[in-house]
Amino acid sequence: MSDREGPPKIGVKRSDASQPLVLPGIHRYQFFSNLKDRGWTLNLDRVALFGIVSALLATVIKPLLRGNPATIYCYECRACYATQDRCPVGISLQAELVVAGRVLDYNRFIRNGGLKCIRCGNCQSYCVQYLPLPKMFEVMQQETKQAIVAGTVPQESLAQGLEQGLIGKEFIDDVVKAVS
Amino acid sequence: MEFLGYITLSIFVGLMLLTLFGYIRTPVQTVLVLSTVLCLIVGGVFKYIAYGWDAVALLPNEFLGGIILHPITALLTGLFLAGGLKASGGFEALKELLGYLRRSPIGLVGTLVILINLPVISSLPCGRILAAALLPLLFTFGFEGGMGILTKSQLIVLIGAFTRNSMGSCGPSPIGGVGQIAEGFLGSFFPTASDGILRAPQAFALMLGTAIVALFLKFVSQKLYPNDVALRETPPGFNMQNRSDVQVKAPVKGFIALAIFVVSLLIAIFQPLGKMPVQSVLVAGALLMILICRIHLNDLLEGIILLPVTAMAAGFLAAGALAATGGFTALASILNSLVAIKALGVAGMLAIFVQFQTILPLSCARILTAALVPTLYLFGPAQFDFLSWSQLAIVMAAYIINATTSCGPSPLGGGGMMGEGTMRAETGFIKGAYTFASMAVMAPMAAIFMKFLNLSVFQPSDPRFVRDILMIGSFALAIAGVNVIFIFLGSRIFNPSASRNFLVQLFGFLFSGGLGGGILAFALFEIDITKIFQGALGGVIAAALIGLMVPKTLSKRLTATLAGPTI
Repeated sequence: MSDREGPPKIGVKRSDASQPLVLPGIHRYQFFSNLKDRGWTLNLDRVALFGIVSALLATVIKPLLRGNPATIYCYECRACYATQDRCPVGISLQAELVVAGRVLDYNRFIRNGGLKCIRCGNCQSYCVQYLPLPKMFEVMQQETKQAIVAGTVPQESLAQGLEQGLIGKEFIDDVVKAVS
Repeated sequence: MEFLGYITLSIFVGLMLLTLFGYIRTPVQTVLVLSTVLCLIVGGVFKYIAYGWDAVALLPNEFLGGIILHPITALLTGLFLAGGLKASGGFEALKELLGYLRRSPIGLVGTLVILINLPVISSLPCGRILAAALLPLLFTFGFEGGMGILTKSQLIVLIGAFTRNSMGSCGPSPIGGVGQIAEGFLGSFFPTASDGILRAPQAFALMLGTAIVALFLKFVSQKLYPNDVALRETPPGFNMQNRSDVQVKAPVKGFIALAIFVVSLLIAIFQPLGKMPVQSVLVAGALLMILICRIHLNDLLEGIILLPVTAMAAGFLAAGALAATGGFTALASILNSLVAIKALGVAGMLAIFVQFQTILPLSCARILTAALVPTLYLFGPAQFDFLSWSQLAIVMAAYIINATTSCGPSPLGGGGMMGEGTMRAETGFIKGAYTFASMAVMAPMAAIFMKFLNLSVFQPSDPRFVRDILMIGSFALAIAGVNVIFIFLGSRIFNPSASRNFLVQLFGFLFSGGLGGGILAFALFEIDITKIFQGALGGVIAAALIGLMVPKTLSKRLTATLAGPTI
């Protein structure tokens, strides 16, 4: 049977079990070499898994450290879109603002009208979990404002926001200053 | 920058197709992460040239926005609870209850039908939760599992149909199901859409589709791949009657755990204690199990299956990278340009669009749904104005049921692989049955249900319930009837030639796809012959793409197992 022949030998043979543990269940060098049954490279799967776990941790930890933890609990079910014309400033995609607040995506926040939100709370009653949407938007608005002042928000995004009337009066001075 | 979207879309689709066809043989999460990295590198270069370093620095934040935490955490807590149920003997209790049910007037068949439809009845946010819990139980119905009630062929049908029902039950789930994404968008016009405008069409289509899957597995799949299921046949002379009468005795704590499980689900679904996340309710249920049933944390952890979690997360990363680099905008442009082709038009394009996720089945429906539902929304009055709000609701119903069932036939770590594993089948065994039912039955049925009943309920200006229910009944009979005839005819003309059988099956797909596309066009535009023809053509194109990806033969690896020593 071809299964018994095993894959061709690669590089120096080393017993993983004899190496010291670096993480529970994982020996040194297992990270980098010596596994013969992987795909294109010896360690691609491990690197990929490490990337996935890191991305998940970043998604959870970042909002916690930035004081916007409620964004983690959003189902992204979009029930808040039913706010319709009961949003006094005409924001139609509220869930986008929540996601932008979770990952600190300034472009997404501005593009969807986050800087014109007046935090009236009308959308909150449509949330299936009654998440504190006004509070979440306020935190992100302040962070975006700081980023605008610091000059880290791309000018293109701010200029588009101005053109499309997506900047509220609280932020208009900062945005105009940043663009000019 | 539009060019960037086409490049990243090509990278993603190319890598997925290479993996689907088996040219790349690494776990799906690795390929998805690779796709993410490649898209980000290309996107980073383009953004640096166009907007400078600040835009590149914000790229990680943009792609992380693709991650949807809810299904990941809901799945983990569901698996957690399933682990507790297993450790405390909850499944033994369920077996005992099923034993009582089997001896009731509904008998074995009625019991199995209820069991198969249990996922859609409970509608959890991920079908894997219940599948992970109940698939080992279903296996026990066979000879190898101990009860010996069902033959090998029957067990294949039972497991396959149950898994089909599971991997689609996330659609109508009111506790963060996939369908809620589309309901949210429809909420822009129908004020009560988030109360479940898509729930009934999905549930109805799923139940009908499950029945078609059962027939397909019995009459087509088992004939096409006769040597690719390693389950043992019941030995000759084995007395099934005696084995099936063996009494299962469950411990009391098993019944308590089962009660905690059911109550947790009911609280999560109906929220009598106020609005709270499903995860919190399920974790509270798990803690109660630890306290009352005296089980350990390790028992709960044993229930966790990592692959779906990591595959789903990797899919979200890939989708996030595509969104951040304009890949989905490019896809919307491509679909938009299909409308300009006269033979297809809007109806043909939509007939292809609703089947998109069955054409490219990924490990979790949410990966593409989160990106494609906004695209579909733009086809309505919000931007392109191809469709009115009512028509948009009809397309959403067809699209969402097709999307939510797409994790079933996915060979990239999809939920259907759990069923294939349980029935000891080679990967790809269920693909034909699952894709056929989604394409030919579920999508058109959901559209018809939405047109004739749900729109009347959610927009009650013109309620004509009797006429509408009769219409749905007639369409259900017609759709199911035609496809059942195709399945029976196909099974009659199969022969040992795999190539010939594949062609026969492909023709069946094309006919049913055309029919499905035509029905979708009728649901949207009523009796407009041009539009119905365009829809049928779109359906045929989608069916060709789906049918060509159903494996002609499966690996012969299992043949060696089957030829091994008997038990």
